[in-house]
Amino acid sequence: MDWAAFRLSVQLGVTTLVFLIPLSIALGRLLAVRRFPGHDVVEAVVALPLILPPTVLGFYLLVAFGGRSWIGSAFSSLTGGTLAFSFEGLVLASMLVNLPFAVQPIQRAFEAVPREVREAAACCGMTWWRALAAIELPLAWPGIATAVVLTFAHTLGEFGVVLMVGGSIPGETRTLSIAIYDRVQAFDDRGAGIMAATLLAMATVALALTTRLTRRLGGRHG
Amino acid sequence: MRWLTRCALAAVLAASPSLSARAAPVVAAASDLQLALREVADRFARETGVRVTLVFGASGSLTRQLKDGAPFDVFLSADEAFVHDLADAGLARDHGLVYAIGRIALYAPRSSPLEVDERLDGIRRWLDSGRATRFAIANPEHAPYGRAAEAALRRAGLWERITPHLVLGESVAQAARFAAAGDAAGGILAHSLVIGTPMAADGRHVVLPESLHPPLRQRMVLMKRAGPEALRFYEYLQGPAARDVLRRHGFTVPPV
Amino acid sequence: MAERAGLEVSVADTRPVRLDVQLRCGPDEVLAIFGPSGSGKTTLLRCVAGLHRPAQARVVCDGIVWADTAGGQWLPVRRRRVGFVFQEYALFPHLTARGNVMAALGAGSASARRADAARWLAAVHLTGLENRVPASLSGGQRQRVAIARALARDPQVLLLDEPFAAVDRALRARLHRELEQIRRAVRIPVLLVTHDFEDVVRLSTHVVVLDEGRVAAAGPIAALTSRGDLPWERYGLGAGSVFDAEVRRVDVVRGLAELAAGGAVFIVPREGLAEGSCVRVRVPAKEVILATRPPEGLSLHNVLPGRVAEVGGGERHPLVRLAIGGVHLLAEVTSDAVERLQIRAGASVYALIKSVAIEIHGRDDDHNGHAVADAHAGGPPPA
Repeated sequence: MDWAAFRLSVQLGVTTLVFLIPLSIALGRLLAVRRFPGHDVVEAVVALPLILPPTVLGFYLLVAFGGRSWIGSAFSSLTGGTLAFSFEGLVLASMLVNLPFAVQPIQRAFEAVPREVREAAACCGMTWWRALAAIELPLAWPGIATAVVLTFAHTLGEFGVVLMVGGSIPGETRTLSIAIYDRVQAFDDRGAGIMAATLLAMATVALALTTRLTRRLGGRHG
Repeated sequence: MRWLTRCALAAVLAASPSLSARAAPVVAAASDLQLALREVADRFARETGVRVTLVFGASGSLTRQLKDGAPFDVFLSADEAFVHDLADAGLARDHGLVYAIGRIALYAPRSSPLEVDERLDGIRRWLDSGRATRFAIANPEHAPYGRAAEAALRRAGLWERITPHLVLGESVAQAARFAAAGDAAGGILAHSLVIGTPMAADGRHVVLPESLHPPLRQRMVLMKRAGPEALRFYEYLQGPAARDVLRRHGFTVPPV
Repeated sequence: MAERAGLEVSVADTRPVRLDVQLRCGPDEVLAIFGPSGSGKTTLLRCVAGLHRPAQARVVCDGIVWADTAGGQWLPVRRRRVGFVFQEYALFPHLTARGNVMAALGAGSASARRADAARWLAAVHLTGLENRVPASLSGGQRQRVAIARALARDPQVLLLDEPFAAVDRALRARLHRELEQIRRAVRIPVLLVTHDFEDVVRLSTHVVVLDEGRVAAAGPIAALTSRGDLPWERYGLGAGSVFDAEVRRVDVVRGLAELAAGGAVFIVPREGLAEGSCVRVRVPAKEVILATRPPEGLSLHNVLPGRVAEVGGGERHPLVRLAIGGVHLLAEVTSDAVERLQIRAGASVYALIKSVAIEIHGRDDDHNGHAVADAHAGGPPPA
């Protein structure tokens, strides 16, 4: 069991959540509540990572912030490190790849809050902040929890994009899924098997949690 | 809200691995060195107390990653061209040196009908049998061992016939997995991998003559960012202990 | 208490529905906005609340400008003190009844808000149900929570969007009564949107009839319902004038009561009527018989002398408007009868009405207005 890889996978999952979830709450709510010009385009873009092969995503990410890109060089001059092949690059890639997993359940949850309930909150004199905190978030939280679980589980299992953008640098970008691949290449089936079983267990728990939470969301407005 | 975001960002970056001091040199190596280099690195660690981090892949893939800014300190390619490429691009300190000469081997797992011989007649018969399945080599585009395999097959006049049966490994190690797993009837792989892993015991193999392909002169180089410990390892690789390990794994080492 | 000027509204728009409406509603008035589905009633109400921003609007409440598109002013919903009761109540499903009401109480210590919420819930007869969530409340109870929440806001105007649409008939009568009590206690303008004329009859003091976004008719309930020229059949209730009356006398022995309205006296069965109380009366036009001479030997209790004010309603279904004292009644008769009796404007006639045919709303005592007034007094003083 490659504990460095395990730790890295968990770290990647948590860091992605920390940055992605608040963003997704904002975006998910916006998409749910307001119909602005370009709304459908934004929805489509958010859904893209679901259907694009990881290699396509990885390719464009490298083009966008590999060492030869504008963003990549800016990052290098700022921090002395590279964006590609670094943990930070993985976080960025992971946030983009997980956009649909985070935004869509949250958007559904906010859509399920009836428009009139939101309007009633305004009629009660609540500021947008109080309405969000006291009314909308409590009603939407199963969707947010689903987003958290799905994003974390998906990050754990992400392979193609991580490999392309991060390489397989132990302690830095060699996540659990990459480590399994590495063990297989090194003819270490036992090591690979232990880590694969771990990922399988974590994925199963994640899915079970998601199912429970989605049911709760459905039952809430009954 | 802004200061909160900044605090969160700082906390996460502080916890992130890359900004914490990473003294361990990172060595990128062609995947035919999977077994040999691990042994060398272990010895190095025992003798000097310095642990190096090893990253394996096809030489072409590693070169591409280096060009994209991958933080490797030492690069052991399976050929020379990739190293020269990096030197010309100004990413390496110099043009490095040849540390080993590699050999290819024809391999068939025990259950396979493929017969192995130096002239590749076994492959010919296998193709003639009409029941030929899959044959594994590394992808010639990224892997020097794949290129050598292709050269050998062309030299024997079998390339066109065998092409529809080929399964290409992204690296020679992956090709070896295909062959070892029995999904392929056999393959032309790195000799070091065949003898370094259980593959040799689970099948039959023969080292192919160097006349069948351009020599697999494996060149290594220090990257610009390499520090003193990387340099130590680089020099260790040229020393007697390392050369010994390489020889035992089926490489020929050039005279010092 | 500052002088309340009431509500002035002027709205014009073309999307999502056509609207071109001006209306006013004073502090003690209930203005029913009546019309078929799609006539723009709910949109109009939402414009007043600020939930919908039309092309042109001017809304002034108690002298404060809530909206003035011409001058570029638009006060957001939460800054307007509106009490809005949504058609499906829009209660916060995750909060208890108490929590829902507290949501409208704004700042203040938690214990003070809890106490206020308890008072409001008591005012709508929901004591004991404070801890229930909306899912475990009946439709009528939910409506009351919605009303309590709207009132807890200490609103300057109460807006009700088809409040009885989701409620069955039996419950509706009771809720009508309670709403009437509440209305009397809080004394703010009330706008009530409905497509059911019964709601109009029972609750409103004034009516605006909307047809495809335009005001087809408007006025106090008594004046409007005694107009012969409106398409009463379309409104679903049939013609019949509506007015308020006082129960002047109750004769227990004979089982009758006297209702006085503008000088006219109506005799009705006394069930549920208390002397001195106010009731709302509707005299269906179909039940009014005209006579040129007072008849004898009939069971009728109501033989009322009056004068024909107008013969309207067209050739085929004439509606005769009569002035009986200060009250106007409508009588539906055949054109043959109009000819035979020579019914013309100015003619003297008698209106014959069976006592049991007179509809009375607001039976049972009316003194429950006190509970609501107390809760209202316990809230912050009006600005």
